[in-house]
Amino acid sequence: MTAEAEKPSIITSSLDFLVNWGRTNSLWPFPYGTACCAIEFMSTEVGRYDLSRIGSEYVRFTPRQSDVLLVAGTITYKQAPILKRIYEQMAEPRWVIAMGACACSGGFYDCYCTVPGIDHIIPVDVYIGGCPSRPEAFFDAMFDLQKKIKDESYMKQRAERVKDQIEMIKAKTAEAKAQAQEFAQEKVAEIKDFVVEKEQNLVKKAQFWKE
Amino acid sequence: MESKELTEKIASLLAEKFGGKLDAQAKWDAAVVVPAEYLHNAVEFLKGDASILMDMLVDIAGIDYQTYPNHEGPRFGISYAFKSTVNPGVRVRLKVLVGEADLKVPTISDLFANANWYEREVFDQFGIVFTGHPDLRRLLNHVEFVGHPLRKDYPAQKRQWLSTNDYLLPALEKRLETLGYRVVQRSKEVGTNDNEFLEGSIKE
Repeated sequence: MTAEAEKPSIITSSLDFLVNWGRTNSLWPFPYGTACCAIEFMSTEVGRYDLSRIGSEYVRFTPRQSDVLLVAGTITYKQAPILKRIYEQMAEPRWVIAMGACACSGGFYDCYCTVPGIDHIIPVDVYIGGCPSRPEAFFDAMFDLQKKIKDESYMKQRAERVKDQIEMIKAKTAEAKAQAQEFAQEKVAEIKDFVVEKEQNLVKKAQFWKE
Repeated sequence: MESKELTEKIASLLAEKFGGKLDAQAKWDAAVVVPAEYLHNAVEFLKGDASILMDMLVDIAGIDYQTYPNHEGPRFGISYAFKSTVNPGVRVRLKVLVGEADLKVPTISDLFANANWYEREVFDQFGIVFTGHPDLRRLLNHVEFVGHPLRKDYPAQKRQWLSTNDYLLPALEKRLETLGYRVVQRSKEVGTNDNEFLEGSIKE
């Protein structure tokens, strides 16, 4: 299966094209807005700029249904584990946009409480500058992300994933087998001991009755 | 009565009753330095006295005088800002000075409910202990933070990571139970564990 998937054939490449086409044109963002950049995202989303023109009209407020994690605003150290957990809760495939100076580099908060860029916590695909960034810049980032998604190969990723899973299953089965063997050996040893004990008892009894 | 006259009267009363001294460096309002042991009584007097009625606590701020020019005396100061809702335009600040050896100030959270969080913040940022406070924990910084960041000797760019996020549900359930609610189902924290990849991490 892996070898087949790695070789580009007419079926896999056209499947890749189809999957990428679907993914590119319906990116559902999860807005992790903590500061003024989130306001800019709101204006990107509604009528005047209208993000739904490129298929992102569904803003999902749950990480389990969204594709793009949009970090808009300052991330403090108290918030960092929450952001990380939200990223972990998102289903594959997932992409991250760091919007604004604060999310990219900590911005002008060069202090004890602000994370200097969210790439210390999670991988980032696209960075947007600005404080806050304009909706046009956000559109630019979305186009960049679409280009990036178009270059990805669904079949290749799937092959890697399947390989990983198979390895994991093999490791698990080996572990379980070893456990079962150990358990069986223990049991056999127990039964042997039991039988030996019984035999000795019988011998003792026989000797007693002889006497 | 004019607000200025009233302010002067309050300052003189505080000086008379609690040994308060007018802070010469405060140019814009009346700041009275009160000894720490008389603070609680002074606040009670300000809040309750019928002729004054400074019944609104605006802010509690900590001050570190370590690198302050022309300052003599203890290192830390705590400034309480009061306002009156009855006599408009009257503002008074109380100031308490404490040294590093004895960082203790009596709490006023039994007189003003909002002082609870103000004092927690001052404790968080300056490490000043408010004796008698019902729940003196950090307010702004996370639980694994070491040190007090608004002190002048804290390196401003020293960063401290937090390893896990707060799990607040057990505390919330406890509080609900003290309020008379019944907890039907206890929550258990669900962790992400790589070893449980095949089974899934959610168990109950």
